[in-house]
Amino acid sequence: MLKKNLTFIGVLMVMVFLIAAPATAQKVRGVTDTEILVGQWGPQTGPAAPWGAVARGTDLLFKIINEEGGIHGRKFKYYLRDDSYQPAKTKAIAKEFVEQIGVFAVVGGIGVATGMTARDYLMENKVPWYAPITGVYEWISPIQKYLFAQYPLYDDEAFNLTGYLHEKLGYKKIAMFYQNDDYGKQGAQGVERYLLRKKISLVAKVSAEMTDRDLSTHALKLKNSGAEAVIMWTMPTHAALILAESAKIGFKPQWATSNTLSDSALMMQITKGLWAGMINSFALELPDSNLPLMVKYREWHKKLAPQERWGTFYYAGIAFAEPFVEGVRRAGRDLTADNWVKAMETLKDWKGISSPITFTNPMDRQGGKHVFYGKVKPDGNIERLTDWIRITK
Amino acid sequence: MDIKRNYYEDIELFKSNTILVWSILFLIFLAFLPWLITTYRPLGLSIYIVNLITIHAIVAIGLNILVGYTGQISMGHAGFFALGAFTAVILIVRWSFPLWIALPIAGFVSSAFGFILGLPALRLKGPYLAIATLGFGMTITTIIKHMEFFGGRMGLQAPKLYLFGTPMKDIHYYYVIMIIAVLMTIGAVKLIKTRVGRAFIAIRDSDIAAEAMGVNLTYYKTLAFAVSAFYTGVAGGLYAFILGFINPESFHLIMSITFLAMVVVGGLGSIMGSIAGAALMTFLDIKLQAIQDIPAIGPALVIFSEKYMSIAGISNVAVIVYGLIMILIVLFEPLGIFGFWIRNKRYWKTWPF
Repeated sequence: MLKKNLTFIGVLMVMVFLIAAPATAQKVRGVTDTEILVGQWGPQTGPAAPWGAVARGTDLLFKIINEEGGIHGRKFKYYLRDDSYQPAKTKAIAKEFVEQIGVFAVVGGIGVATGMTARDYLMENKVPWYAPITGVYEWISPIQKYLFAQYPLYDDEAFNLTGYLHEKLGYKKIAMFYQNDDYGKQGAQGVERYLLRKKISLVAKVSAEMTDRDLSTHALKLKNSGAEAVIMWTMPTHAALILAESAKIGFKPQWATSNTLSDSALMMQITKGLWAGMINSFALELPDSNLPLMVKYREWHKKLAPQERWGTFYYAGIAFAEPFVEGVRRAGRDLTADNWVKAMETLKDWKGISSPITFTNPMDRQGGKHVFYGKVKPDGNIERLTDWIRITK
Repeated sequence: MDIKRNYYEDIELFKSNTILVWSILFLIFLAFLPWLITTYRPLGLSIYIVNLITIHAIVAIGLNILVGYTGQISMGHAGFFALGAFTAVILIVRWSFPLWIALPIAGFVSSAFGFILGLPALRLKGPYLAIATLGFGMTITTIIKHMEFFGGRMGLQAPKLYLFGTPMKDIHYYYVIMIIAVLMTIGAVKLIKTRVGRAFIAIRDSDIAAEAMGVNLTYYKTLAFAVSAFYTGVAGGLYAFILGFINPESFHLIMSITFLAMVVVGGLGSIMGSIAGAALMTFLDIKLQAIQDIPAIGPALVIFSEKYMSIAGISNVAVIVYGLIMILIVLFEPLGIFGFWIRNKRYWKTWPF
């Protein structure tokens, strides 16, 4: 009996320890003389956990900046919270960020449903939010003063990719394979938008459900259409399945896909080498890029977080936080939410390790408008085909 | 003191004046809770978390009627929850119903589906029923996902609600949710005490014996499902509005299992236990994310997790602690939190013996 009561007391003690430290009164929320408080949510556990690397990548960037002495005498204090990809938790985290920790800004954050529960709340409280990591219209329309988006729009990306295949590479018969959800549909929409303009039609439009595991009929449909090039807008699993099925029936078109599947090291592994030859669009520099900034980050990565894989998701966490930091730098010592917004609006073709970022038009909060194309080599490395190409007008 | 002389004495809501006084004091406490929270922030709570707890408590009460009192099982309550949420939002967005009409309709839509799900329950038992309900929960979200009417996979934005012309904030929702929760709790207590509840309990203890005594199994089993789904549907409607945005992927299998865990941890066959279970599980689920901020223990756990666990680090510890607390409670007290309560009450009552 005593034992049982002890467990109960133990539970109570855990709860008491969870009392959060009260936020101290200050002029600007989350900005003190020596610190800037920044938060991010990301799934560290649960089915979406692989994407959690993004939030940990952001941690690396803040550590690097702190090691280099911070910005205008302030260092970043970074709060990473695991929302397990559950919207109810995300909203609780957003409230914790604002009401209890008192962060200056929120950076990144993966997922549409999760982010949408927090969007209006953050905006009402004038919390700057930089770069939710999905390419949908919800972030940029209607315009929110404190919300800046970077991830290229799927629709525009697909539009431009189709143009590249048709005009530069001369493919006439193009087919589309996509996953039947918002992500896939926006891709299909972009492809059709381009073809409609050129007055040609898709030779085949094949969709798969998320839960489909047998794609042999899908592959057969694509083969029978006689397509020379197939654009796919899917998640990694489906990409691997359709490539395997097509190879089995001897269908070898030119494949092309979005930057969502740009982790070619991973894709080569799960497709057992079939990924070679893929034309891929990229929104970030390549992992082995010789860009001085990339070299620098890779060195810090070895020093500060050697246990992490230098994968696309991980350094995307850096890429999607860099422009935010640049905004803080430009806002100067007198950092407020409004000053930060003004500073962000001076960014013009600003270049970190992602595409050039521009926010000079206050009526346009879509910062990333460029991708480049690359072809996957048989060894899994990328042969860069183009320079940065503007995809959004 | 505990002797009942007739049926009407037994179904009294307040068995004694002591209980009446304490209940009133508790209601006064609930009325002042938001003030307490915003002033002192006990346990790092926010009104949003309390709202979430209250909504989960409504679900847990509904599920307990089914699982704890009628002895059926459901692993598909996230489906009813989703139905309630989507119905309420669509009624308000498309046909501009007021909330106080939309919520009961959301409840009744859910309970209609609960009735349908109750039909196979007449023939299925134990694990077979669990699988059937599990399938139901997953089917509902899949159907919603594929219908543009429900916003498809993208989901729906819940409209902002206004109270006397001002947009509703957490604190307004608190009172709306709390009043509904209190009414529904009283409803559940009454239901269990009267004829219907007794029929449920008879079915739980032995359905053949119950039928022999004249309990109509078809009627009461489907009724249990319908009532349970009604509670969950209403809670789902409220959930949509405190979240502000819903999409079908949010109502997954894990959610159904969490609901079931709330009931088991709280105490099967106990209304108070349902509330306690919902409160504890919701609180831990949200607050354990900040486990690294606990003084002294937190940093030590961070170092430990970085050394011995995967790179996601501290989040793993949070999940383990969450699971451990659940296991410990069920292991040491099969009646759940309600069991602790009974035991401690008895201990103090008979003290010093």
